[in-house]
Amino acid sequence: SVFHVCQVPVAEGKSVQQTVDMLHKKLEQLGAVKQGNFWVDCETYQATGNATGQPTKLLYVMHNSETPLSSMALFEGGPGLTADANFDVLMVKLKSHFQNAKGHKVESRGTRYRYCDFLVKIGTVAMSSSARGISVEVEYCACVIPGDCWNLMKEFMQSFLGSSTPELPAVFTSKAEGLYAPVDCMDTMSQYLELFGKVRKQQVLAGSGVR
Amino acid sequence: MSGGPAVRVSIESQCERQVQEVSLDGLETYVPLLSMSQNLAKLAQWMDFDQSSDSEQDGPERESREPWSKPEPEEDEGAVKFQPSLWPWDSVRNNLRGALTEMCVLHDVLSVLKEKKYMALDPVSQDPSTPQVFQLISKKKSLATAAQLLLKGAEKLNKSLAENQEQRRQRDFNSELLRLRSQWKLRKVGDKILGDLSYRSAGSLFPHHGTFEVIKNTDLDLDKKVPDDYCPLSVQIPSDLEGSAYIKVSIQKQSPDIGDLGTVSLFRRQPKAKPGKTWHVKLEAAQNVLLCKEIFAQLSREAVQIKSQIPHIVVKNQIISQPFPGLQLSISLCHSTGEKRSQGASPEKSKPDDHLYVLEHNLHQLIREFHKQTLSSVVMPHPASAPFGHKRLRLAGPMAYDKAEISSLQQSEGLLEKIIKQAKHIFLRSRSIQLQLNIGVEQIRVVHRDGRVITLSHQEQELQDFLLSQMSQHQVHAVQQLAKVMGWHVLSFSNHVGLGPIESIGNASAITVTSPNGEYTISVRNGPESGCKVLVQFPRSQAKELPKSDVLQDARWTHLRGPYKEVHWSRMEGRNFVYKMELLMAALTPCP
Repeated sequence: SVFHVCQVPVAEGKSVQQTVDMLHKKLEQLGAVKQGNFWVDCETYQATGNATGQPTKLLYVMHNSETPLSSMALFEGGPGLTADANFDVLMVKLKSHFQNAKGHKVESRGTRYRYCDFLVKIGTVAMSSSARGISVEVEYCACVIPGDCWNLMKEFMQSFLGSSTPELPAVFTSKAEGLYAPVDCMDTMSQYLELFGKVRKQQVLAGSGVR
Repeated sequence: MSGGPAVRVSIESQCERQVQEVSLDGLETYVPLLSMSQNLAKLAQWMDFDQSSDSEQDGPERESREPWSKPEPEEDEGAVKFQPSLWPWDSVRNNLRGALTEMCVLHDVLSVLKEKKYMALDPVSQDPSTPQVFQLISKKKSLATAAQLLLKGAEKLNKSLAENQEQRRQRDFNSELLRLRSQWKLRKVGDKILGDLSYRSAGSLFPHHGTFEVIKNTDLDLDKKVPDDYCPLSVQIPSDLEGSAYIKVSIQKQSPDIGDLGTVSLFRRQPKAKPGKTWHVKLEAAQNVLLCKEIFAQLSREAVQIKSQIPHIVVKNQIISQPFPGLQLSISLCHSTGEKRSQGASPEKSKPDDHLYVLEHNLHQLIREFHKQTLSSVVMPHPASAPFGHKRLRLAGPMAYDKAEISSLQQSEGLLEKIIKQAKHIFLRSRSIQLQLNIGVEQIRVVHRDGRVITLSHQEQELQDFLLSQMSQHQVHAVQQLAKVMGWHVLSFSNHVGLGPIESIGNASAITVTSPNGEYTISVRNGPESGCKVLVQFPRSQAKELPKSDVLQDARWTHLRGPYKEVHWSRMEGRNFVYKMELLMAALTPCP
């Protein structure tokens, strides 16, 4: 499947929850069927022992409910690692090298909708239990190469996202084979990481709309 | 000689005299020379007459004669050589004279004694023999020494005997321990010997520790009689595994009151509580209890987790589920500790054949299968950090498997589902067995379920015909039972129909059943020769060829059943008659 993650801005004058409900309604009108819940979370670890002058390297450990037995670890823009769920325990043991920045945990929770071959996951991005934004993940299950199905996905997204349909994510274009390399779960996670980064930088702006 | 001057030679005689004194004027005074007798006396003084051997050997008579004769020859000797001087011989003479005197006295005494008139000899009393007291004491002492030796020896023997017995006791314990070790896993922790009676080494994942302790039972007084069931080794099992247990699976038709569940102990068997059970029996019973607990825990976990159409009720030690409507399957864990008996009887006096031993056995087999799977090459060996499960699942993390892939690897059916399926099968099967064949020497006796007894002769054709006719009847009976199970109503049933073509073997039987909502009807006519004929009646609304009638104008009349249609039974899907019929019935029962 090809995953595409994008951020939907909160509608004017509405709270995060209301925007999410609006999206749900749109999908249901489209004919999608609710199929359970999902969550994606990201924890930040700071690498200690860096030479002074260099910015501290941040390691992100992410989990996805779609791959419940895995943990993904990646550096921003750098290499990534897919591992067993025991990786979290390993991180605890590496406390001396990587310190957990507890306040920086970001997670996105929401419902899954299935529409034929598409899986749409609409999640509320929350940082320390305050909703900061909305993430929409669209998965096209029938294909693994983005180049083949990007147009279809874009069209599908346009149908319920309207104007906020995003462009092709950088992840797909930055690969050596370009758009025609099969998709990895790392790509999904990088997309989420980007989104979470944006949300973190947004800070209080979206938080004021929480009610 | 002449010729030279004369040399004066002075001759001096040897100085025979000793100088006594030299006076002041140089005059020497010589000691006067001894005369010859004086010289002799001097020499005689030097002689020791006592030492001469000749004089000793002579008896006392000689002695008595000798004394006065002795000085004479000596005097004579002195007279021959020198002038004897009696002065050096004085002592000798005195000694001799003394000896003489004494001899004379002795002689006199002896002669007086001889007369026995004035003197008599009296023997001196001997020392008496030692008195009896001393004899006793000496005997006692010697006996005491002997006794001491014997006692020492006896003590040594006693000690060695006691050691032997102690060793035997120890050896008994050790040999028992060896036997125990050959059958159970033991390990030593500190000074305690612990064992493991759980199935963990066989692949179980049940979290019970299952540790038992081996106790030495050698505080036995060997003087008293050893009890018959004495064993130097005893085991102490964990308190929650005491007693015995079994899983009871039963099918009941009526459902008991919900309030009664879990309050009654369903233990039927009276355990023969022997106080001195050997370790073997104890350990096996405890292991059985543990296995039953595991089975029940697994079943209840599945009953709660797995979402099925029919909810399962889990109450304390019972799981109740309804595989078919109106039919109730209850699985309960019956555990009784040795002390108390079954508390009261359960309200429904379940018959012994209600207790499905086959399913219990199957439960045991299934859990053991599960254990074996944990140890299979697909699972073992496994890295210490990986959880138990299929080997491929270990890749799920690194390969980022999604839920669909994960569920395809995991086991789909749980213990409970399997057991329910088996129960269903048993139920259906038990409803289908109708005949019992007793094959004798001359005849075959067939006992029918409804009590009829038919005797057949040796001709195999008879049996064949009989079985054929029974088969056709059986199929119709099966339809009847199936109808009951599926909720269909039996409208008519006949074992021997009088209509239709005549069968050469037996009679045809027929049944008509109608669906729960009354819309469809299935009619079956089954004969041994003519085979099976199935007709279905549809409601009028579904029949196309019915003309619209002027009389029946109301729409509701279309819900009544109308014409019949035959089913191509041979083209029907299903392995056998019952499956086909079940499928037909299911197809004709519309979804709500």
